[in-house]
Amino acid sequence: MLRRWVNKILGREQEQRVSFQEIFTLFQEILSLNNRTLDLIAEANDKLSGDYIFDRHYIETFQEETASLVHQLIYKLNLISPGKYQELNESFHRIESDIRQILAGRLLCPTDRYVLDYKEIAEKHLGEAAGGKNTHLAEIMEFLGITIPPSFAITTAAYFHFLQENGLPEKIEKIIDRWHHGETGIGEASKEIRSLILAARLPADIRKEIDMYLDAIRQAHPEKKPYFAVRSSAVGEDSEFSYAGQYASRLNVSRYRVIEAYREVVASVYSERAMEYRQSKGVLESEIAMAVACQQVVKARVSGVLYTYHPVHPEKETMEISSAWGLGAPIVSGRVLTDHFTVARRAPHEILELKVVRKQTALMPAGGEEKTEVPVPEEQQTIPSLTDEQLRRLAEIGLRIEKFYKKPQDIEFAIDENDEIVILQARQLAMRGKTLPVARELAEILEKYPVISRGRGTVAQMGIASGTVFVLENDEDLDKVPQGAILVARYASPRLARVIRKVSGIITDVGAVTGHLATVAREFRVPTIMNLEHATEIFETGEEVTIDAQENIVYEGLVRELYHFSLAEEDIEETYEYRLLRRVLKKIEPLYLLDPKDPNFTPQGCRTLHDIIRFVHEKVVEEIIDYNYHHPHNMDAVSGKLDWKFPLDMVIIDMGGGLVPGAVGTGRKIVPEQITSPPMRALLDGIAHPGAWNNEPMSVDFGSFMSSLTRTMSAETMSPRELGQNLAVISDCYINVSLRLGYHFTVIDAYVVDNVKDNYAYFRFSGGVTDISRRSRRAAFIGEALARHDFHVELHEDLVEGRIKKMDRQGMLDRLNLLGILIGFTRQLDVKMVTDEQIAYYIEKLQELLENDNHE
Amino acid sequence: MNEKRTLSILILDDEPIVSKRLKPSLEKRGYVVETFTESLEALKRIKERNFDIVITDLKMEGVDGMEFLTEVKKRSPETEVIVITGFATMETAKESFKKGVFDFLSKPFKLGEITEIIEKAEEKILSR
Repeated sequence: MLRRWVNKILGREQEQRVSFQEIFTLFQEILSLNNRTLDLIAEANDKLSGDYIFDRHYIETFQEETASLVHQLIYKLNLISPGKYQELNESFHRIESDIRQILAGRLLCPTDRYVLDYKEIAEKHLGEAAGGKNTHLAEIMEFLGITIPPSFAITTAAYFHFLQENGLPEKIEKIIDRWHHGETGIGEASKEIRSLILAARLPADIRKEIDMYLDAIRQAHPEKKPYFAVRSSAVGEDSEFSYAGQYASRLNVSRYRVIEAYREVVASVYSERAMEYRQSKGVLESEIAMAVACQQVVKARVSGVLYTYHPVHPEKETMEISSAWGLGAPIVSGRVLTDHFTVARRAPHEILELKVVRKQTALMPAGGEEKTEVPVPEEQQTIPSLTDEQLRRLAEIGLRIEKFYKKPQDIEFAIDENDEIVILQARQLAMRGKTLPVARELAEILEKYPVISRGRGTVAQMGIASGTVFVLENDEDLDKVPQGAILVARYASPRLARVIRKVSGIITDVGAVTGHLATVAREFRVPTIMNLEHATEIFETGEEVTIDAQENIVYEGLVRELYHFSLAEEDIEETYEYRLLRRVLKKIEPLYLLDPKDPNFTPQGCRTLHDIIRFVHEKVVEEIIDYNYHHPHNMDAVSGKLDWKFPLDMVIIDMGGGLVPGAVGTGRKIVPEQITSPPMRALLDGIAHPGAWNNEPMSVDFGSFMSSLTRTMSAETMSPRELGQNLAVISDCYINVSLRLGYHFTVIDAYVVDNVKDNYAYFRFSGGVTDISRRSRRAAFIGEALARHDFHVELHEDLVEGRIKKMDRQGMLDRLNLLGILIGFTRQLDVKMVTDEQIAYYIEKLQELLENDNHE
Repeated sequence: MNEKRTLSILILDDEPIVSKRLKPSLEKRGYVVETFTESLEALKRIKERNFDIVITDLKMEGVDGMEFLTEVKKRSPETEVIVITGFATMETAKESFKKGVFDFLSKPFKLGEITEIIEKAEEKILSR
């Protein structure tokens, strides 16, 4: 039937009569594909909670299914308007080819910028462009407010561009091939590749950007000539952890030698050690990319290294610190004698042990390129290089970084001329202890600890956390949440996301694991259990607990063994499959095309599959309206514009029996009284429900509501053409409504007849103009309201889906009336819903409204 | 709790993530766990000793899961076999049950889902 119809459409110049039924079938298919795709994406996102076991096969299947659905969407849109959106196919193939490359292990740089400042790396999660070293420092600075040296990152986009411009990838591949085939030794291969890289020209565009950032640092510190540390910050399989120390770093480089140092660091990708390591681990050459960190050298009075745990004896609960006078390089490489301090992990960080050595020389930056070893004044040689006060500050900083990354840390620091602690590097500390508990022994140990809750609630983010409980009584107390606390709250409010970097764990009475807070908890890996019902009553502020969100257990007190166990265990989020799914989702899930008026709202502007889905949805509604209302091609469907006191700007298309005969006259206007479609009437009655706006004390009345509605609409929809986005396709038993009011979207699809078995209604709602927390709150309200009226509800951040089936005629019409009321009622609620308590309040208001209605 | 017998579990899946993820979690619950990514090696192991519970994927290189579980059941009919697969079809499910499989779980699954099945299998084993 489709083929027949396509032929018809293609030949529509000759043959004008295309049945609306056919085009509408296509429209419905698009809507249903749209919903299925978005559901599939939401499900894949849930897989990242840590609660699922999935493998590569799943990621591939997910990608294939999603791509196939999106491809069908494009195909169907192009059937409706042949040739008009052909470029969508190009965007689709571009995105899909990126995903295939990601699946094949190729590293794609998520940005095309060559240089990034740290704020951007942290805010936009550009770790895959900047590499581990850059990203950790950027996060420490941006999220924890800890001082780091002025720095910038040279991205992997620069790395790829640099190699490509010089034709190096092919040359390198040939050399590697020869080595793999035993035609050349590893030493020779490594040397050959490195000299190619060292001799290559850095493209002018990269050079220019680096110069710009170097100048900026220079200008910020005009008094002295800055020197730089140029360090490797590789991206790729296990790069941060296992490759530690395999790549080159150049310290104390003058600004004119930064480019040279950059080449040296890039060349170190092909050091013998690194090549050997990749071969032994089966890591492909294509799976490595080098970003570079460029940091201004700190004029250090003291430098050192801090371990937040004893790497062999974590049970001692100590931190280990080594330090010496001057610059840090000799300490890191172990070339000089250092003072050593052992400090308690627990505040106030008592100094347990102190070994002071005689420090006869120190490394100081000399005036020029070189650094010199200078003699240390006699009186400083035998005193500790760190004071008690500095040690305490260091310990606090170390713990904060450890809490943030949930792993013991190996931190390089310097103390500058102003006595400020500056963090130069932070990475995970490899624990090698035999005394680390193993899973087998844990079973027995854990039995001894009292359990507060087991198997109750739902895990939103896995992990293990210990800390002091803080029960949140009201939102104002959020500022009082202490560092490292276990936050216990009534609702999983998106508002709590504000303190996500401060808390060790979260427990809530109610909440959706697909909500915004869960997403944020996942992002920051904060162990979170939701729906623990009476959590706020069970737990008391000040008590110490340990959450095992792996097993969904909360223990009384600090269960050290469990925490130590988690320190040594590989994070599930760091496994290859997780990272792969995250990378793939980045090409699928984000929505960049929001505003149809944006000049980028084009097929070429689609950057993700979600963008394509959104684009198709917008255009198909537009096309249907255009085809039937603006330029009617067919006579079997009647269309007109709704003329009503509420300016919905809706085009109504009647497929049969939805309007009184002859309703649409020459003005092509339809008044509500002419609508006979029972489901449409029920919906409009709901929208026009008088009480919806009057009963509510802080609310505006309906008139001003509508004026605000018109305001937002006119602000974003300039032309009358744009206003025609609202569409209702109706018949005597069916409605399909697409509404775009402001920035939120509603889709309703319902069928109501006497045969109960055939009846259904589908409702989808998303978007809004306020921040995500208010939108999510509104979504939670709508979800709750629907659930109370027998809808099967699914919530995902600010998206609500409600389904209902097999209800009798009157029951269906009542539900549609409710949907109408909700559309009006919630129009502005996201603006008003400032706290979570309001969810319950508005639910009550809505209930009152419905009950009054019944009495009338 | 203390007189509880320690059950042994063998896990076979060619994707390492599955074992990596299941092993520590099951060990924390007190099971003794051995994991394999190569079916031939797992086959060698079941010839050496019996396991209380075997968890196996179906589609693998070399000896495929169906063959493997057939061998397990032949050697030790008492062993409860749990099948996990990303290619779940009615046919494979039927065939597995015909061969006396305890339960069938399609991937991806939640940790809670498989532990629940393991607990049921454990109940059955301990009631014998």
